[in-house]
Amino acid sequence: MIEVQNITKRYGRTTAVDDVSFRVERGEILGFLGPNGAGKTTTMRILTGYMPPTEGRATVAGYDVFTHPIEAKQRTGYLPETPPLYPDMTVREYLDFVARIKGVPSRERRDRVTSAMQRTHVADMASRHCSKLSKGYRQRVGLAQAIIHNPEVLILDEPTAGLDPKQIIETRELIRGLAGDHTIVLSTHILPEVAQTCQRVVIINRGRVVAIDTPEGLTSRLQGAATLYVQVDAPGVDATETLQGLPGVSRVALSDQRDGVRGYEVESARETDIRREIARAVVSRGWGLLELRPMRMSLEEIFLQVTTEETPEEAVSEQRP
Amino acid sequence: MNSVRNVLAIADKELRSYFASPIGYIIIGLFALLFGWFFYVYLTFFVQRSTGMAGMGGGATNINQDMIRYVLMNSAVIILFVMPMITMRTYAEEKRSGTIELLLTSPLTDVQIILGKFFGAMGLYAAMLLVTLLYMGILFIYGNPEWRPIASGYLGLLLMGGCFISLGLLISSLTKNQIVAGVLTFAVFLMLWVINWIGDQSGPTTRVIVNYLSIVDHFDDFARGIIDTKHLVYYLSFITFGLFLTAKSVDSERWRG
Repeated sequence: MIEVQNITKRYGRTTAVDDVSFRVERGEILGFLGPNGAGKTTTMRILTGYMPPTEGRATVAGYDVFTHPIEAKQRTGYLPETPPLYPDMTVREYLDFVARIKGVPSRERRDRVTSAMQRTHVADMASRHCSKLSKGYRQRVGLAQAIIHNPEVLILDEPTAGLDPKQIIETRELIRGLAGDHTIVLSTHILPEVAQTCQRVVIINRGRVVAIDTPEGLTSRLQGAATLYVQVDAPGVDATETLQGLPGVSRVALSDQRDGVRGYEVESARETDIRREIARAVVSRGWGLLELRPMRMSLEEIFLQVTTEETPEEAVSEQRP
Repeated sequence: MNSVRNVLAIADKELRSYFASPIGYIIIGLFALLFGWFFYVYLTFFVQRSTGMAGMGGGATNINQDMIRYVLMNSAVIILFVMPMITMRTYAEEKRSGTIELLLTSPLTDVQIILGKFFGAMGLYAAMLLVTLLYMGILFIYGNPEWRPIASGYLGLLLMGGCFISLGLLISSLTKNQIVAGVLTFAVFLMLWVINWIGDQSGPTTRVIVNYLSIVDHFDDFARGIIDTKHLVYYLSFITFGLFLTAKSVDSERWRG
């Protein structure tokens, strides 16, 4: 349904998106996870035809977004980070206008507007001006706008940002409800969100894809091994065997060596902390223990940057002025 | 067919947005007021002069050439002042509020969006001119002016306004801030008006070139009741060029991000 091939976007000298590729199958919900400024919005803007990539190509529903923009856009619904509402229109007027520019035939327009309002639960606000809507309603009207022409593909940029917990739950349910008929790409910087709504996750950081997997797959990867870095001053002696012999150690590898000082990577099961045992073993043999620290995988680093818990404060600070 | 529909959808939305806030009413009211003022001044002047001429027993006066023409020429200057208020928000406001993302990700071409915005602004401008036809009606009730020069004068006003609008759209597409767009548009309009003051002081060649550039200068013949192809071509190519540059500006924005 969606195919992204080696997309790169540069602004002057900075590279916002660097060689990103992924696929989304029909009816799937794909989560785009990454810290703020990772390149999520840029990738989505390229997918929706808002801006062209510097390199690479993207197809939506079989149409290249750059060479056949009209066809691709007809099949795409897009909710940008801030819902693109016109403050002086009422919700109904606004949705009617969007239906018009998305090419909904005039005799179907009324029904489409009504059904989009019902699906997103904004019908009670139909004659209210967009400027008078609360944040939660603005987001939902934004969602109504995205589905109004019944597109095959939905692209949602941080659909739950700035909502209160109750609204977040409602919005997620709404998105899951849309999944059957639509192929959905949504971005978020909140870890539990992808686990709850998405079937597959693309983790992106500094413009690069770090991992593509199912939420379960990612979790098990994270719960895998922990690695320690140990530097030992023991001239002429290889400490590999000693370290290997310690309980809980699954693998030891020599990583660097200089003037009799050797560095080792020691892998162990995640739950067991074997630093004390290592220190004792090294010291008891009369060697110098110069360094002992945990090594992080890049995936884990990203996970530490993305929010692992949802807090109301976080939701508030995310609101753009 | 589809493209006409899209242009109309945008034009309709633009026109409505003028009247959703007081801005549309203020512009029309302000213009009607100033136009009325000039109308009154020139009418009084014309009446005095024609009664004076009649007392001296000679010298026919023509209401088309001696009054309406000056009213229309002066209204061209009012338009120059009012127009930045119409065009300044067109693109700048969409960019600031992020609604430009909706337009640019909808199945519309840039040209359709630009034409929609152009015709939307033209709609408001036409409404402004329509109100002033009431004043002309008064002349028809109490006298018998010729309608053809009036028609050519209004055609000229429409075309001249079209130039202002296409230029205003271009400037609005360059910034996110509608105040910046407004001030800049006003400055450029003013330049294009006063440019022939320099022309009058300089040599014959410069004068011809400079007068040619002045948007308002091309209107003189229309006000006199003359529709000259030269001026038609000037106005239409000016409008086209302005819209073309706007399209380029919107497109380049897209590449820069």
